[in-house]
Amino acid sequence: MLKSLDIQDLKSRLYQAIDNRVRIITAGLNLRELRNVLRGDPPEEKPNPRYKVHTTSFLFHIRPRYYEKASTIFTHTFRLGFFSTFFFFVEAITGIILMIYYSPVPSEAYQSILNLESNVPYGKLLRDIHRLGAEAMVIFVFLHMMRTFLTGSYKKERSFTWFTGVLLLGVTLFLSFFGYLLPWDQLAYWAVTIGTGMAEAAPLFGREANLLLRGGPDIGANGLLRAYLLHVVLLPAVAVLLISIHYYKVSREHGISLPAKYEEGDIPAEEKKNARQRIDFIPDLLTHEVFLTSLGIFALIVSIIIFGYSAPLENVANPQVTPLDTKAPWYFWWLQGLLKLGDKTLMGVILPTIIAGLLIAIPYIDRNPHRSLYKRPVAVGIGILSILVLVVLSYMGTPLYGIETPAATRIVQDLAPEEGVGPLRKIPFDQLQPGTYEVTGTVPRDLCPNLDFGCPALTSVFAEYSRRITRAINDPALPKIQRLPNGQAFLIIEDWQTDLRKVTFRILWDDPDSQQRKTFEKHIFIHRLRGDE
Amino acid sequence: MSRVQLEVFFGTLFVLLSGGILLWYGLNEPKRMAEYELHQRAKSIEVGAELYDINCKGCHGPQGEGVAGLWPPLNDRHFFTNRLTEVGWSGTLEDYIISTVSGGRLVSTRPDRYPGQGRPVMPAWAERYGGPLRDDQIRNIAAFILNWADTAPDRSTQMAEMAGPPTGTDIKKALPEGDPTRGEGLANTKGCVVCHISAPTGPAWLATPQQPGIATRAEAILTDPNYTGNATSAVEYLHESIVLPNAYIVPGFQAGVMPANYGDTLTDQELADILAYLLTLK
Repeated sequence: MLKSLDIQDLKSRLYQAIDNRVRIITAGLNLRELRNVLRGDPPEEKPNPRYKVHTTSFLFHIRPRYYEKASTIFTHTFRLGFFSTFFFFVEAITGIILMIYYSPVPSEAYQSILNLESNVPYGKLLRDIHRLGAEAMVIFVFLHMMRTFLTGSYKKERSFTWFTGVLLLGVTLFLSFFGYLLPWDQLAYWAVTIGTGMAEAAPLFGREANLLLRGGPDIGANGLLRAYLLHVVLLPAVAVLLISIHYYKVSREHGISLPAKYEEGDIPAEEKKNARQRIDFIPDLLTHEVFLTSLGIFALIVSIIIFGYSAPLENVANPQVTPLDTKAPWYFWWLQGLLKLGDKTLMGVILPTIIAGLLIAIPYIDRNPHRSLYKRPVAVGIGILSILVLVVLSYMGTPLYGIETPAATRIVQDLAPEEGVGPLRKIPFDQLQPGTYEVTGTVPRDLCPNLDFGCPALTSVFAEYSRRITRAINDPALPKIQRLPNGQAFLIIEDWQTDLRKVTFRILWDDPDSQQRKTFEKHIFIHRLRGDE
Repeated sequence: MSRVQLEVFFGTLFVLLSGGILLWYGLNEPKRMAEYELHQRAKSIEVGAELYDINCKGCHGPQGEGVAGLWPPLNDRHFFTNRLTEVGWSGTLEDYIISTVSGGRLVSTRPDRYPGQGRPVMPAWAERYGGPLRDDQIRNIAAFILNWADTAPDRSTQMAEMAGPPTGTDIKKALPEGDPTRGEGLANTKGCVVCHISAPTGPAWLATPQQPGIATRAEAILTDPNYTGNATSAVEYLHESIVLPNAYIVPGFQAGVMPANYGDTLTDQELADILAYLLTLK
């Protein structure tokens, strides 16, 4: 029995068995071939086993067998479409894990986020990735569209792909918009209140649209549940469908466009032929994609853990208190800017609809057959102009533009904002020396000479306070609302409780309208361990 | 190296680096989570302080000192050590505070010291019982109150020590000279402003565009044929209204709303100060 056992034979049989298994799993590639793939070597067997994968494996059958060489030039695509998809997967995976800890009920939602961040290992990282991924996805989808527009890749047979792409841009924006509400903090609540308020402005069915979206006149339990279901079920399902169609068109129908010069440029035929050389999916494109994926993950992790990106979380949503500076997410500032310009129905509903319609119609409006930048000056000009308009509108959408806040409120809000940190809360707790500090026009060099190291942070905040107040008192060039005639201002710091101090801003002035002395007072409580120092 | 090899190399490097960073991050997680909870607690106290300032300080005092004979102190050693046994509460002090704030209190638990029978002595604050606050806000208030635990002074003796004998209910009694400035302060600390407000103009005894100040109003009431009290001058009328609030009820108001024990909790001097202040409001 033992004699018949041949070690050599056993080894090769074992190798054979493993090799077979690997071939089954990889749908055609054996161990040797796999090694060659990783080393970038050409295939050993004929017919090329790397093509077989594309017919036998479901996942690979979606992918093309090859790209044309020129379409893989980095500066042509910048891999923007790839990263849009990458972030979609990041969002899907982190989102599913986040669903374990989240409960879409107003009384629980905010608490579940706090719980995620304080009781779940890697919980905060998970939320940060989800949030950063969402913002990155918006950026990449938008840039992807810009790239497609500038290279003229939406023309001819690609017009339907462009159409699905515009829809995907919309889906991306709606996904992040409804996801925005889920933490149920002030930021979320009011941004989404404004956003859904636009639905109400829609002509004919506005009231119904608003009720359908919010589940009531105001956002409450129903509205949160609806936003949640839109965010985790309906919109992702639509996105998967549209991405599939979008990608199918690219991979099976028309491929990635070549840079315009290889299609219509004045270059030698040899070079044109070279540009259409095939680059096989396995190994070149596959390793490239795996590389980009690892790069993407690395970039996410580094920007969060090393560079400290942190998903914002304000105080819990309070329908009774509208924060002073309500702000939509940055990618909707342009819409807020539009809203400041005119009627809610026109600017908030009709115009955006027209913009979306125009975007979809671009391939049909633009009859210019050329794709090169230089041969379509009008289209490129309009494109650049649109970007400029977008930037200007976005600026107008921020609270910096067109919102007049009375001087006292503004000054205190800038030093100690209702939400977020601000200069006052950045002062180390020990520097908040109890006392009454009056603004006199001259700024003291150090407010607490009795401390060994003084209180530079408090002094600098008080200096800023003095400067703003003094200017509001004395500068006659300021508009009336920003002035404080005969003003008097105090900063009062009191010990209030164990590790808790109370800071009071008190500003008095003569109101020119009512001829009376007015007082603005704001109390801020600061705890030693609040964690924003 | 071919492009594929380079990409495999750097891809592996990125994966390893990401893994390393994640591992390092993971080792710090317990510390980070513990800190996060501390910060959360701190923010909860801050928010609680703000809510207390708006909703509770009127009765329980800005520093939780309460008002003798009317509203119990919260910043009080007794509250943190004996209160649960006193009322026979089986849960934690936090539960007790949350429950009391949420549901309010219908009947005083210490009627000898803090009278209150027949009408709620503390209103319900939770939204679900008709109050203005959400559950998380009440939790924040509880966090703020509990933060007094380590420093709360013993107020049981302080309360017995009034600055002098109580003034009683005799409105003809001769009072010492009053100081209007001190009187204004007392109106705030003795709980008057809790009820006597007509926002946004401030305390109800001030002059408004519709009516003059309380001193002038008091004189007008004396000439009213329906007046049933015993006062013969504005100062006596105000004196009577404070120590014997049910002697005469101004039309439009209910009897029995104002606590009738100010005669027991104010000294002659304090009453004189308050009257002096009110008389300046023409």
